[in-house]
Amino acid sequence: MTRLVEIAVPDEVRERACAGEAGARQLIYAAVAPPTFALIRRLIGNRSASEDVFQDTMMILFERLGEFRQEAPLGAWLRQIAISRCLMYLRSPWRRVLLCLDAAGERAAPALAPATTAALRPEAIDLERALATLAPTPRAVLWMYEVEGYSHAEIAASFGRSVSFSKSQLARAHLKLRAWFEPQGGRPTCTLS
Amino acid sequence: MHTELEHERSVTHLLRELPDAAVRPYDWQEFQRRALAAPAAAAHVAGLRALAAVIVITLAVLATAIRFGAGPHPAHLLAKPVASNKGAPAAGGEALRAERAATTAQDWLEKLPREPALVHVGTRAAVETLEDHIAQVDDLLTTERAGSAPAERLQLLQRERVQLVNSLVQVRYAETLADAAR
Repeated sequence: MTRLVEIAVPDEVRERACAGEAGARQLIYAAVAPPTFALIRRLIGNRSASEDVFQDTMMILFERLGEFRQEAPLGAWLRQIAISRCLMYLRSPWRRVLLCLDAAGERAAPALAPATTAALRPEAIDLERALATLAPTPRAVLWMYEVEGYSHAEIAASFGRSVSFSKSQLARAHLKLRAWFEPQGGRPTCTLS
Repeated sequence: MHTELEHERSVTHLLRELPDAAVRPYDWQEFQRRALAAPAAAAHVAGLRALAAVIVITLAVLATAIRFGAGPHPAHLLAKPVASNKGAPAAGGEALRAERAATTAQDWLEKLPREPALVHVGTRAAVETLEDHIAQVDDLLTTERAGSAPAERLQLLQRERVQLVNSLVQVRYAETLADAAR
């Protein structure tokens, strides 16, 4: 899996993109769009909502590219924008209602299209499905902690909550995933190695 | 505990290995098309959202007003907080009863769905704040117990936890009434 945080863009391409050159912007888009969208999709869950947040994130990237100070790779800077946009989305009361209303429809539909699941290992497909059953907040905390490598203190600061909140949300997510992977009648499961 | 750790490690490993290919974004042309269409669409959507928000809030208020007080109130679930910590044996007994009542209340809370069918912004915020406070008190209790803190301090924390659980029961009960009225 490509790590967004490690993606760097040559200075020359970045400067051309800052000047508004479409070709350079397209190059940057091609490099950062897949891992950015993957991150947003993992945090938000819902496909159409993820596309909205992704569009906002990429527009902010190009609008503020001139403010990038090169203290870290461009991907790390973009990751911060993406996570901040995701958390804003998850905090928004209106969007919380939308996610709740969408939840039933999403659960009824397969988490991924057959064309994409064909290329995945069975346990990865099962994990995708398990992730889809998590509520947005524990899923976001789980992803930020376990995959993106954020500490509990950093997650707490991002959410504007306490460290205990981060710990309890992570424990809740693991509990639910554990329950998902325990063998049950009527639902095929994969054994974690 | 060992199995739990193994499970967490396996899940973490699998999460990190999940391929991006499963969640591809749209291409550059589509991004540009959306960027051009965004200002007009935003104005239209904002209007629709405002209208829908007014309808949802009105329905929630109506549903709560109609149903409030109609169902069985979980008063029997509410834990009575200990009034005083004077007189150790009596306070200890009361604390035990309060703790049992809090456990019953938590059992009731756990049977509820995590999210209500109808989300009311104010109550959701209250639920999250209370859950956050309970998690903080739990952390403190664990630390204090490990450090052999005085019994009074533990009782004080336990009492605070019981009060928080009581408040949570009341808020979640209001949510179930609103859901039932749908």
